[in-house]
Amino acid sequence: MNMNHTQPLEYSTEQNKMNILGFWIFLGAEIMLFATLFTSYFVYENRTGNGPSGAEIFEITPVLFETIILLTSSFTIGLAIHAMRINRSKAMLVFLGVTLLLGAAFLGIEIYEFVHYYHVGATLQTSAFTAILLTTLGTHGAHVTFGLFWGLFILMQIKKRGLTAETANKSFIFSLYWHFLDVVWIFIFSFIYLKGMM
Amino acid sequence: MRELFPMKQVNGFIFSLLLTIIALSVYFMDMSFELGMTILLVTAFVQAAVQLVLFMHAGESEDKSSIYTTVFYGVVIALATVFGSLLAMIWGYL
Repeated sequence: MNMNHTQPLEYSTEQNKMNILGFWIFLGAEIMLFATLFTSYFVYENRTGNGPSGAEIFEITPVLFETIILLTSSFTIGLAIHAMRINRSKAMLVFLGVTLLLGAAFLGIEIYEFVHYYHVGATLQTSAFTAILLTTLGTHGAHVTFGLFWGLFILMQIKKRGLTAETANKSFIFSLYWHFLDVVWIFIFSFIYLKGMM
Repeated sequence: MRELFPMKQVNGFIFSLLLTIIALSVYFMDMSFELGMTILLVTAFVQAAVQLVLFMHAGESEDKSSIYTTVFYGVVIALATVFGSLLAMIWGYL
């Protein structure tokens, strides 16, 4: 393999560089995926039929916790990549583990939220508004769930193989994914929850 | 221990918490819909930029022009879809 030692490990081979660029192109497509969900949400926001409106079912406390937890996990995955670059694999694993725990906590609160929506009569079939709300939140939640397993497998692989050009590349790409989910959540937090409760 | 917490990332984290608090003001304070939306738009897009540049290292590799192009293209299509649909289906009939 062609190794370039002037760049961080995750960029060290031609394949690595292509993987990272390819993932950015995927993220560009993900931006458009969430854009279509947000579009439908804004169009159907007031079509509540006989169901509840956003202001009636949103709760600020769990949403605030979710936001702070996800922001913190985005920070810790950043620290994990930094630790990886100064070759501190133990510290990197700790930060990655903390990130995944925070992700699991986020998911727990989101599940609580979905149960709450169900109990107050906001289901997938109640109205156009509740349908698109749960679809948008659910798509983000499914991404987080997928990320949890992905991150866990990377963690196990680094434990087994150590930091190589390959595992470093995978970790870096995972960090891109995780930061992206945080960005999407910021838009959900601002334009679904805060706008709905304003 | 110290070298594990670079200033750049710690500051970025504090800044993103600050932006969240500013965004929260639309909930806790009484303000017009227009002012609230302006605050939310500014804080959300600044927050996204912080993540992109500070945490995702968008500009560090030799592919940075391709990376910025693909993100910029995604955002343009996103904004066209959102605001185009709002214009055609919601605002046009007010």
